[in-house]
Amino acid sequence: MKRIIKLGIVLFFVITCTTGCWNLTEPDELAFITAAGMDAAPDGRIEISSQIAVPSAIDVQQNQSSIGKSFLVVSAMGKNVMDAGRTMQGKLSRSLFYEHRQAIIFGQSMAQRGVGDMLDMFVRNPKSEIRSTVAVVKDGTAKDLLNIKPKFDPFSGLAILRVQSSVGSTPYFYRHFLSDALNEGMTPLVPAFHIVGKNEFACVGAAMLDNTADLKLKGFLNAEQSFLAYWMIGRQSTISVTSVVDRDGGLATIRLGSLKSRIRVILTDSGKPAIEVRLSGGGSVIENNSNLDPSKGPDRRIIEQKLSDSTRQKVEQLIDQVQHQYKTDVFGFGDHIHRRYPQRWKTLKRDWDQSFSKLPVSVQVTLHVKDPGQSNSAMKRFI
Amino acid sequence: MKITGTQLFWILFTVEVVMAVWLRISPAIEVSRQDAWISMLVAGMIGAAITFLVVCLSLQHPGQSLAVFSRKLLGKWVGGLLVLPYLASWYILAGDVLRTFADFVHLILLDRTPLWVIMFLMAAMMTVMTGAIGMNGIARFCEIAGPLTLITLILSFLLNIGNVNLSNLFPVIADTGWKNILKAAYPPASFFGESFLLLVIVSMVQRSDKALLRSMTSIITIVGIVLVSTIMVLFVFGPNVSAKMRFPYFTLVRSINILDFIQNVDIFVLFIWVFGVCAKISFYLFLTSFEMANCLGLKNWRKVVWFSAPLIVAIAVAIPNETAIEMLQKLWRLIVIPLCGIAIPMLLLLATAISKRREARRL
Repeated sequence: MKRIIKLGIVLFFVITCTTGCWNLTEPDELAFITAAGMDAAPDGRIEISSQIAVPSAIDVQQNQSSIGKSFLVVSAMGKNVMDAGRTMQGKLSRSLFYEHRQAIIFGQSMAQRGVGDMLDMFVRNPKSEIRSTVAVVKDGTAKDLLNIKPKFDPFSGLAILRVQSSVGSTPYFYRHFLSDALNEGMTPLVPAFHIVGKNEFACVGAAMLDNTADLKLKGFLNAEQSFLAYWMIGRQSTISVTSVVDRDGGLATIRLGSLKSRIRVILTDSGKPAIEVRLSGGGSVIENNSNLDPSKGPDRRIIEQKLSDSTRQKVEQLIDQVQHQYKTDVFGFGDHIHRRYPQRWKTLKRDWDQSFSKLPVSVQVTLHVKDPGQSNSAMKRFI
Repeated sequence: MKITGTQLFWILFTVEVVMAVWLRISPAIEVSRQDAWISMLVAGMIGAAITFLVVCLSLQHPGQSLAVFSRKLLGKWVGGLLVLPYLASWYILAGDVLRTFADFVHLILLDRTPLWVIMFLMAAMMTVMTGAIGMNGIARFCEIAGPLTLITLILSFLLNIGNVNLSNLFPVIADTGWKNILKAAYPPASFFGESFLLLVIVSMVQRSDKALLRSMTSIITIVGIVLVSTIMVLFVFGPNVSAKMRFPYFTLVRSINILDFIQNVDIFVLFIWVFGVCAKISFYLFLTSFEMANCLGLKNWRKVVWFSAPLIVAIAVAIPNETAIEMLQKLWRLIVIPLCGIAIPMLLLLATAISKRREARRL
């Protein structure tokens, strides 16, 4: 009998505590944040916008206009992220729940000011997580991007993540961004989006945020340049390359999968490092409007040659532009030198941006046509 | 009160892995950056050496725990005095673990629950476990919690394979140099050296010929797991980011993202971890009560539980904040390990050798 009483007391105590009385929150008391946007506000403050999901309006198949948007956007200003968050909470009847956040978006004004101060909260706050993807808005505010209703997805936070996969890049997660930002040998390259018209957005390339200067915006790469840059740093899984392949200006397009990039550091005779970039990929021809027939051996080799040459020229132009116009190492050459010749890196890393712009780089591109597609010669040619 | 060799293995494993994987990774990365895994290897060797020393000493006195044989060798007073540092360090460690556990749960999970409630719940669990059930129960519990922890750890590493970036481990050694690597090896070594608790437990193993083998395989497994978790943390986050994190393993688990579907699995890992912490704290309660009873010559160690448990909770509550915990860790590695892990066992080994020679001469 005594044992049962003792057991009863213990169980009672355990039950009262394990129902989590102090921390009990029902799901309908939570506001699920799906994306966070940061813009610069006047007088040095920042404006935080949160995209909050309205679960009842998601996934309903019928007439969408009568139901209304499946999300809402709330904004607030503050001295830093959590200060604005506190003000924002005052506008909402449910407490903010950060752990489902899909995207962190910086507006152009914020990127120009430098996002270094914004980084801490996402890691330090125990309620936050670092699984979100990061993006920058070109010529626009994050608030406007969050307000767009995407065509297929319930909210733009998710759409941004998916657009990155659908164009063949691997989504850029916050922990990669943080790792790149804290790395002295490279500059993070963040996907950039642009707001088109009233209610659409497009992926327009990438933004270079300089990590030696508080992550200020250095410049933008356009879409094609950004795919080539991602290819070099290993963040692109498929890419389509188009070029002129015959003397009459006929075009051919190849869709490359299995992209490989090998960056090697070699020492020149004077002991200074030089970079060798070797890109390769293979894929199938998906459009052919030239005189060549990709199913025939010699023609196929000409197509491969021309495509490789034109890609190589584009990559060389890209590297040249980044080296001389922007002078910031987005390709991670510094990182490679660090790994291969760590002693030399110790002296080079001090003024890396200057040394980077003088670095000799040679590029080699090898593309293989693995498959000519479902037809042989171009459709417009008479057999 | 006998335990089997397998139970010895799992007790040592559960008790050490729970703290080592959770807390000991980022201090090493802070000092030795991407070579932290080398520091872990060195630390593991030191830990294995301490384990070997301690088990050999224990096996010289089969069936007798630390207080018993130290009093036999050096007399009641000196022997008893030698046990005091051990008791002090075990009490402090138990209080530290309880406090760190409550802090962590309060930070991540139950932030509105008062700290003392969390500590009190865990303390009630450990008192019931130790006082009512005893060493056999703890041993059997570790036999369950140990494999569960091991499987969860391995699973969390496998699920993170998609996130690894192999180049994060390079360049090897060139950045940090051997001095820093060795310096960074010492804090993890002091926690692998926690295995001097074997001085008490080996005496309870049924077949003492298995004790050495099981202890050494246990410490090797522990070091292996901590090594793999350090390597995984470095692979996924790189040295720059992980040096700044307080709980890198936990953040590692949080970043598991398979097919956009398996996410937020940190709650499962936390759940398993609580088992490990419960086992560890109950075990330390037993250890301190048992040794204190042996030291004072008392027959019934269960009565001492009524003294030990409140003392552990009092220590846990008395710790004001994180800097005090840092100080306790410094105490652990500067005083406790050299004293309790190395100096006193060597002294007792010497005393054992002398007394054996004296007996041989008498015969």
